Amino acid sequence: MPKTLPTRFEAASTLAVVVSSVEPLLFLTEDQKVIAASASFCRTFEIDPATVHGKSLSDLGNGEWKLPKLASLLRATASGSAHIEAYEIDFERENQATRKLIINARTLDDGEPDYIRLLVAINDVTNARAETRIKDDLVRDNNILIQEVQHRVANSLQIIASVLMQSARQVQSEEVRGHLKNAHSRVMSIASLQRQLSTSSGGRIELRPYLTQLCQSLSVSMVPDPERLSIDVNVDDSAVEADTSVSLGLIVTELVINALKHAFPDKKAGVIAIGYQSDGKDWTLTISDNGIGMPAGKDAPAAGLGTGIVEALVKNLGSEVHVSNNGPGTIVKISQKANADPATASAPAV
Amino acid sequence: MNNGKAVVLIVEDSIIIRMGAVDLVKSAGYEALEASDADGAISILEQRDDIDLVFTDVQMPGTMDGIKLSHFIRNRWPPVKLIVASANTILEESSLPDGSKFLPKPYDEHTIIEAMASMLEPEAPPEAAK
Repeated sequence: MPKTLPTRFEAASTLAVVVSSVEPLLFLTEDQKVIAASASFCRTFEIDPATVHGKSLSDLGNGEWKLPKLASLLRATASGSAHIEAYEIDFERENQATRKLIINARTLDDGEPDYIRLLVAINDVTNARAETRIKDDLVRDNNILIQEVQHRVANSLQIIASVLMQSARQVQSEEVRGHLKNAHSRVMSIASLQRQLSTSSGGRIELRPYLTQLCQSLSVSMVPDPERLSIDVNVDDSAVEADTSVSLGLIVTELVINALKHAFPDKKAGVIAIGYQSDGKDWTLTISDNGIGMPAGKDAPAAGLGTGIVEALVKNLGSEVHVSNNGPGTIVKISQKANADPATASAPAV
Repeated sequence: MNNGKAVVLIVEDSIIIRMGAVDLVKSAGYEALEASDADGAISILEQRDDIDLVFTDVQMPGTMDGIKLSHFIRNRWPPVKLIVASANTILEESSLPDGSKFLPKPYDEHTIIEAMASMLEPEAPPEAAK
């Protein structure tokens, strides 16, 4: 039981701090009588400031502060056996919507351990909670929408892939079938990226899983005999912007298709290796094979669609392409050095 | 099985994708049946007792999606093999009945045929199914 103490005077500065607190604040005696209440408390909970002094907490206003659980927690706080930290209550007033309050309480530590007083801070989080809920709902709706869009994109790509493969099965000409299968591989290359994008955060694509999946897909659809020809992927931990990854993926697709078509005639066995290494802003993408190598001079084949696509993408990335003899085979190196200005080739200065 | 040919039921609401799948299944040497939703698939399963494998999409109009359909088939016709394809990559194989196979869309046709061959003739290599 609280002892009956002679009337004590609080320091004027303490009272001034309490009354002017921006957060609603109550300053209570050990037996929960109001010594002072902040102006913000009176305003927020519609209590006449002139009536509060000396009143029991449970008698404040129209008795809406008569909350047995809060009273018992405050008793425990006063006795030192508990702390009220972020205790949440549903605060009910007549003819008003329930408010969500967060209560923090502690004993005042002003060097008088036998004279116990309580500081009770009351935070109305109703609006903040409602905003958080609205934001959560928006985030959820947004995610559903993104999922729906990704679902549609994947389905559309499936339609295109289905039509291309159906045509490839039905045409008589081997050459046309080859072109249709290449087109199908290009579509599947975009689909691999789409799949990576749907699981990535912040629009950046990790290249190792992406290029690995892409090459698996190319291998499944383009390599008739995986025992004879394999595609190796050796990529570091780089992550790039989605736009860049589209270009890199399509370059890999074209060069792998090209190597499969030309480097291993007469069922020659071999390996196509994809590598990507970066150092700061510099990076190098390599596509190499150990096939028959590229014929030069007048035997060189005319540049096809694949070459055109690669050249355009390389230029767009602001990078350079270098083709050399791999002894045996061919190595294509696409690299970007940070000190080279990528914009000069295509974009006007702003 | 019908005249020694495995029978595959394709359930897909998109007509173009369904046409492609039917063509693919036939070209792999199987007999192909088709339905545009779960109700259609169930009525075909009720009429025929020779269906070996159901290849279904997930998102479809009607009373059941492909996941519910796959559980329904597993309960009512336990021997029927199941392959489920979805454009929703978040879908996990764990939400499907045991032993069924999940493939993300767009699927590669070789992957589908390999999956079908290994489910229909687990002892034999894929080529033997053709």
